[in-house]
Amino acid sequence: MAENGESSGPPRPSRGPAAAQGPASAPAEPKIIKVTVKTPKEKEEFAVPENSSVQQFKEAISKRFKSQTDQLVLIFAGKILKDQDTLIQHGIHDGLTVHLVIKSQNRPQGQSAQPSNAAGTNTTSASTPRSNSTSISTNSNPFGLGSLGGLAGLSSLGLSSTNFSELQNQMQQQLLSSPEMMIQIMENPFVQSMLSNPDLMRQLIMANPQMQQLIQRNPEISHLLNNPDIMRQTLEIARNPAMMQEMMRNQDLALSNLESIPGGYNALRRMYTDIQEPMLNAAQEQFGGNPFASVGSSSTSGEGTQPSRTENRDPLPNPWAPPPATQSSATTSTTTSSGSGSGSSSSSATGSTVAAANYVASIFSTPGMQSLLQQITENPQLIQNMLSAPYMRSMMQSLSQNPDLAAQMMLNSPVFTANPQLQEQMRPQLPAFLQQMQNPDTLSAMSNPRAMQALMQIQQGLQTLATEAPGLIPSFTPGVGVGVLGTAIGPVGPVTPIGPIGPIVPFTPIGPIGPIGPTGPAGPGSTGSGGPPGPTVSSSTPSETTSPTSESGPNQQFIQQMVQALAGASPPQLPNPEVRFQQQLEQLNAMGFLNREANLQALIATGGDINAAIERLLGSQPS
Amino acid sequence: MAATTGSGVKVPRNFRLLEELEEGQKGVGDGTVSWGLEDDEDMTLTRWTGMIIGPPRTIYENRIYSLKIECGPKYPEGPLFVRFVTKINMNGVNSSNGVVDPRAISVLAKWQNSYSIKVVLQEVRRLMMSKENMKLPQPPEGQCYSN
Repeated sequence: MAENGESSGPPRPSRGPAAAQGPASAPAEPKIIKVTVKTPKEKEEFAVPENSSVQQFKEAISKRFKSQTDQLVLIFAGKILKDQDTLIQHGIHDGLTVHLVIKSQNRPQGQSAQPSNAAGTNTTSASTPRSNSTSISTNSNPFGLGSLGGLAGLSSLGLSSTNFSELQNQMQQQLLSSPEMMIQIMENPFVQSMLSNPDLMRQLIMANPQMQQLIQRNPEISHLLNNPDIMRQTLEIARNPAMMQEMMRNQDLALSNLESIPGGYNALRRMYTDIQEPMLNAAQEQFGGNPFASVGSSSTSGEGTQPSRTENRDPLPNPWAPPPATQSSATTSTTTSSGSGSGSSSSSATGSTVAAANYVASIFSTPGMQSLLQQITENPQLIQNMLSAPYMRSMMQSLSQNPDLAAQMMLNSPVFTANPQLQEQMRPQLPAFLQQMQNPDTLSAMSNPRAMQALMQIQQGLQTLATEAPGLIPSFTPGVGVGVLGTAIGPVGPVTPIGPIGPIVPFTPIGPIGPIGPTGPAGPGSTGSGGPPGPTVSSSTPSETTSPTSESGPNQQFIQQMVQALAGASPPQLPNPEVRFQQQLEQLNAMGFLNREANLQALIATGGDINAAIERLLGSQPS
Repeated sequence: MAATTGSGVKVPRNFRLLEELEEGQKGVGDGTVSWGLEDDEDMTLTRWTGMIIGPPRTIYENRIYSLKIECGPKYPEGPLFVRFVTKINMNGVNSSNGVVDPRAISVLAKWQNSYSIKVVLQEVRRLMMSKENMKLPQPPEGQCYSN
């Protein structure tokens, strides 16, 4: 053993001298040694010269094992024997075992040069790099797709068309169906980055044919668009909802300060009138005379566009663009934000409501209101949507708490100034009106589309009477109410034309309009039944045109949902939903929806909109 | 041999290793593993090379895996260290340097002084045939760890 150990240890050429001394078998030739070749399956003994090379050894083996030498892999003591090595080099001596592995043909062997092996090898090795390249190309594909991410991403949003206008419509519909999506879009950095490019936004706006029409009518809009500061500001605001609210609040405060200046408020009002009238007229085609578009002053017409949409980025009508108009519109927006934010102090809300009331009143004085009224008539849902808005409620609450404020609001309205009689009529009604506004029943009544329609009909009847027999009509209240309604509905309604500005548009106008809006329908009601509060805001003379507005269901739904989304942003100050929707619940019950809980949920989700709630209950989404 | 009785007789390390060297050269075993000194001049008998022939009917079939084995000074009282030279994808083998995780191989985790290089190599080969390893995709043949 020791000898074995020594001899098998460090490969001293122990046998060298022995071999050299007296090789019995091989004269002057290396000793033949017997080496066992062992495969996993077989074992063969080979007698080879000691100094043979591995290559020679393999040749001997290949004969015995009937394989190609290239297929043979010899292993000794944990090492692979290379062809150019010798057995002695590895210390292979007599009686030792060498392991053999016969490579099968389908093994990729770089060494095998045999045709059969080569064929198999090449196939295998070729397939391997092919798979690698395939994987590589696959990896690169996502990047390629990523570069198309813009369009591809849009398609992922469900928009199958890359056509701009179609995209716009699709986006709008998408937004209509999901207020959450809108919010998400607003927060999308891509959207925000787009919004932050004033030039891009302006181009987008210009590209909108409706906007072009608007611009033709109202060169001020084009001035707005061309003013980079305004654009930038608008984009900033559109991009950052939080910033928007903040700006609104600031503007609200500034505006309230402005109101305190003697005569300052009137100046503001006049400014609004000057600006909003043409704006309103210009926007009539699209929005059916969105008075708040004009309130928004500057690029109000741009309200039709939805900056939050990734594709159509018409900037928000910059309510803050022209400084005075900015403030006014800011107030309007502020009202909304303060209402929806609910964090605003009552004073700010008050100021905003005052400003809003003023704006609304001034808005009513424009002919655009008429078309709005028409819209409202046809879409009472809009009003009820707005009524459901929490910010409206907050405004109403603040109004009710400050009857003087409400009175001031009314009185300052240019409409009232033109008609002192109306003012006198309004004033005593204000407190009652405000309280009634707070009454959930009133709200429910206002939310009830049929009730609203009835009120509208009454107003129309009164208007007819007024024209036919002026002496019989006690007041302009009906007209006011209608006007208010029109105002309320107006900005909300015509969202479709421009597109997804919806979320932003209603955002702005809804606020100030809201509190005033409900007063409209209440007007005729008050005169008629006394239930609904009397109209607190005067409107333009009820010479409303019967221009049919193309209000589409989706718009209403969209607005409604936007309102809800906006409302949802603020802690709702709503009365008990059950109380609020008492009437709707009863109606749903009568229709056969007996699941009160489900009805309530649907009503809450749709903000009191019975039709939408029904669709919800039926499991279908409003288009 | 006294070294193989294991009845408490402690065989000196070098004796043990020389014994193993001889076994490696003689091809003891079923011929599926092979081992030997890495450097024939290594008097400390520390560094060894091993070879495992991939078991049939596994993904390792027909492949020859080269390993490096290190028998520390405490060997055989202490376990030895094994690492693959040929790239392999197998549980318990570090995919970046081929080191065999002692905790993954039972004979390494619970080392006994009766264990030997052969035992370790055969155990590793047996693990190749385990269900969890026998189908693991393998890197192209002939690749070695850079270390």
